[in-house]
Amino acid sequence: MTDTMDITDYLAQGGRLTNPANVPTRYRAELMKIMATFVDSELAGAAGFADVINAGPGIKERIAAARIVLEKTDNADKVLKLMGEFGANTDRYANHHPWSDRLPRDTAPGTTRNAHDMRLSVLNYPLDGWVDAVVMNLLMGLAVDVQLSEFLTSSYQPFAEAIREVAPREQRHTELAAEGLEKLIAQGETDAVNQSVAYWWPRVSDSFGSGVSPRSDTLKAMGLRHKTNAELHDTWVEIATAALKKLGLDRPAS
Amino acid sequence: MARFHQLSVTDVTKTIRDAVVVTLKPVNGGDFDFIQGQYLTFRQDFDGTEVRRSYSICAGKDDGVLQVGIKKVDGGAFSTWANESLKPGMTIEAMEPMGSFHTPIDPQQPKNYLGFAGGSGITPVLSIMKTVLRREPESTFTLVYANRGVNTIMFREDLEDLKNLYMGRLTVIHVLESDAQDIDLFTGRVDADKCKALFEHWIDIDSIDTTFICGPEPMMLGIAAALREHGLTDEQIKFELFASAQPGRLARRASSSASGAAAKSTEATITMDGSARSFTMDKDQSILDAALENALDAPYACKAGVCSTCKCKVLEGEVEMIANHALEDYEVAQGYVLSCQSYPLTDRVVVDYDQ
Repeated sequence: MTDTMDITDYLAQGGRLTNPANVPTRYRAELMKIMATFVDSELAGAAGFADVINAGPGIKERIAAARIVLEKTDNADKVLKLMGEFGANTDRYANHHPWSDRLPRDTAPGTTRNAHDMRLSVLNYPLDGWVDAVVMNLLMGLAVDVQLSEFLTSSYQPFAEAIREVAPREQRHTELAAEGLEKLIAQGETDAVNQSVAYWWPRVSDSFGSGVSPRSDTLKAMGLRHKTNAELHDTWVEIATAALKKLGLDRPAS
Repeated sequence: MARFHQLSVTDVTKTIRDAVVVTLKPVNGGDFDFIQGQYLTFRQDFDGTEVRRSYSICAGKDDGVLQVGIKKVDGGAFSTWANESLKPGMTIEAMEPMGSFHTPIDPQQPKNYLGFAGGSGITPVLSIMKTVLRREPESTFTLVYANRGVNTIMFREDLEDLKNLYMGRLTVIHVLESDAQDIDLFTGRVDADKCKALFEHWIDIDSIDTTFICGPEPMMLGIAAALREHGLTDEQIKFELFASAQPGRLARRASSSASGAAAKSTEATITMDGSARSFTMDKDQSILDAALENALDAPYACKAGVCSTCKCKVLEGEVEMIANHALEDYEVAQGYVLSCQSYPLTDRVVVDYDQ
């Protein structure tokens, strides 16, 4: 039973890699990029949310916001540890970048990411108060749920396992946002909510990246991704539209 | 960051002709309180070249020892050395235990485990088996153990002892490739078909909570396919694959023929995904930025020298790495650099992202 096979064939047939020692170089690079995108997005998301804790209208809301900050930071830590096993300097990584940095609020939606971190583009835009934060958290949370479903079957087993722990917590954050929004609408904040939905919808939509990525076949063959950006985007549009409808809101035209 | 600690070798025992069980004791700290199924990464210098190899811990949590099993691989520098030269009293360097080939132990929760091991893939499975049988008094474990023949079965006697100790809770099925057995089913290779046959007659697959697979790639694929076909989810199927199956890389030092010319630009050749591209770049531009500017999809994340995503190897010429918070000395000695922090010094550089 000592026969081996080409690692590319192994991956193409659904094989799993389990530690840095058996990971080919190009696979390592793609995996690191995926993990860095996750870590940077969680850190940037948590940093942005930390600023709105005090904007919460009541104790319950502030607890929810604080919990989101805590858990997103912890989610980042889980995956950063895996990057550490590949040689990343985890202490420095956590501090090498000002994660709360944002572009001006009126920056047009765009998919070009900041040159110095890998956060999803939507996290480059600043939150504008409590209502805005809750809306962003719902729309982005639904996007995160869709994106994480891709990683549950990642061919890098330790990453898939980390995501299995992370995904239910992220889902809970999205639920908190939906509950919060329901409350805000009941309090007559519908106009403000609609304004924020109009602001965030195109920005979250763009965070899925371009529909056709030349890398998607490579990533598929490596077992690191399964669906295209366009497929994930369409799934999000569907569930986000339904979520808004449930709240009595319409999705914006774009 | 990964750090190595000294361990003293207290015992080396042959388990079969070409495999040893090495017992270790930490000398100067490090947290070696492992989780069942984890592995240790060792480093050893061979004629000036550092070789790193990972081996699974084969001891159970309650054995009170730290033990790894090392099977000799043809042409493998480390495994040959461990089998032929390693003696009690010697010191060896290893990182703290790593790996996630395990599930949480819950003494209150009876579970049915199914393990598959091929050859030396038994080491982590043995550690898991010993630990769950001891710590989960209601759980059962079925082991399907594939080997070429009777004389290549590692830990054969230990498995017999465990069977007697945990009568009724541990089942061991030996499947031998070349030695005939009483039951035809137990002869041959463990592949998808063999698994199907086992699930029909010997293993109640519907009762299985968690499976552990450690062995050669084709074997793991066949088993996983059969398990998925029988309704097990990815969450229930735990793989462990080791580098020992992959050929060791030959470490070559980058030829550093520095030329004194003070040109401002450099002729760069960058290899990625198997193809090379050449272009002229400024010396005050990083290798990574130059690659990106020339439409190469070079990997990077932090651009601050901490994440190591942009790691590449300098094959020709010299570069200056202005910051390095991620690569270790031995990697730098082999010619690896962080391309986001590296600027050409020579008029020609050849860099490879594929190595």
